[in-house]
Amino acid sequence: MKPAQFEQHEPKTVEEAVSLLESLDDRAILSGGQSMVPMLRFRLAVPETIIDINRIESLDYLEEDDGWLKIGALARHADVEHSKLVAENYGSFADTAPLVADPQIRNRGTVAGSIAQADPKGDWGSVLLAHEGEVVAQGPDGERVIPADEFFLLPYDTTLDENELLTEIRVPTPAPREGSAYHKLKRKVGDYAMAGSAARLVLDDEGRIEQAGIGLTAVDITNVRATDAEEHLEGERPSSELFKRAGELAAEQSNPESDEHGDAGYKERMVNVLTQRALGDAAERAGLVKRRVSQ
Amino acid sequence: MTNTREITLTVNGTEHTIDVEPRQLLVHAIREELDMTGTHIGCDTGNCGACTVLKDGEPVKSCLMFATQADGSDLMTVEGMEELPEARGDLHPLQEGFREEHGLQCGYCTPGMLMSGKALLDENPDPSEAEIREAISGNLCRCTGYQNIVRSIEYAAEELEEVAAADGGTTAASTFDGEFDCGAANCCGGPSTDRDHDATEGGEHR
Repeated sequence: MKPAQFEQHEPKTVEEAVSLLESLDDRAILSGGQSMVPMLRFRLAVPETIIDINRIESLDYLEEDDGWLKIGALARHADVEHSKLVAENYGSFADTAPLVADPQIRNRGTVAGSIAQADPKGDWGSVLLAHEGEVVAQGPDGERVIPADEFFLLPYDTTLDENELLTEIRVPTPAPREGSAYHKLKRKVGDYAMAGSAARLVLDDEGRIEQAGIGLTAVDITNVRATDAEEHLEGERPSSELFKRAGELAAEQSNPESDEHGDAGYKERMVNVLTQRALGDAAERAGLVKRRVSQ
Repeated sequence: MTNTREITLTVNGTEHTIDVEPRQLLVHAIREELDMTGTHIGCDTGNCGACTVLKDGEPVKSCLMFATQADGSDLMTVEGMEELPEARGDLHPLQEGFREEHGLQCGYCTPGMLMSGKALLDENPDPSEAEIREAISGNLCRCTGYQNIVRSIEYAAEELEEVAAADGGTTAASTFDGEFDCGAANCCGGPSTDRDHDATEGGEHR
């Protein structure tokens, strides 16, 4: 089906986009469009105006700056997938990018757009949560920084103000002994996650876990943190026994729904396994040699 | 409230200026405004990949972007395959591979498969089977079970390697010698003469 008719704006600057948001009533932002265009085609979204931000060149970046890995609103999944910087230092991002949809969609879809879309089955939200990252938004009154923990509200709903444009996703640059990973279960290549787990571990000088972050995909109404598991890990030495317990705690805290792909119990067990695997990879990448996952 | 906008698309080397509504999808512009129906519409949801085209060298699903978003872009569709130098005035090695290895049955997915295959081989001339499967993971085929499509792309990779190895300018001349007046089937009186194509300048005419 064709989308309904709409007016179109193609702002060249963030300021222009924000002033359009302010002055227009019934409008939607179009970035990568890989979810938005189907929504328009099915007329699930019928905005009067589309603000296409793809011509705002200043939003097309992926860089380390000032203690952060900064991902501009127009950085595509493929940009992350092919980034040497990401491959070397950000295990969870490097794991996630090639698992998002398929190559064509990764060439168009954006990381920031996926996070703004706030589909609980989206992968990037979990990564952002595990890294305790931030969302940067530009509104009429200037810039606002929203911690990942305060960003997701409901499926497809976030704490972004309606006059704000999400301009950047950022996570802290890694500590000396930090590792992260993402594991995802999907029915077939290109699918959304049935379950996913992002883990990030920071170790202290003695090899104890100083900080742990775990974000879960597709097992609650938003991407969520597995806080019980995180607390269990902190202050301990990485071991397969420790990760097994963390996996159990993550599963207990998850809240999946039964659907055609699997019942809730199965998905909880998958959260357990995926979390153990993500923790195992994260620990290995943080500089440990041991890696074992028990089912 | 019909509002149209003028955009310029370069498709297979030829520049086209057309008027489109903002809501017009790129695939509809290609098929309906430019009458190039080689690019297929399969699922209408962004899943099947039959509408895959190359935008500035990268494979994208042309049903998941608006034509206006391709304004100023360089596009390639299946119609451009045999105009490429490596096709030597005949089928492109990828197309030949699909024929030789039975890479299609109904053929509906084939234009998209060819575009994904092309993008892969441009980046990675000697892909593993796993890399081929990854590259076509955004393209659905309901006939072949993919085995033959993978073989078709492998065939093309080998063929292209041979073309590259032989590419001293000698084989091209001897291939066409005596067969055609100008050495390019779709240059002087061939099926595609209604379109300009810069590719022939440096390609088949060598």
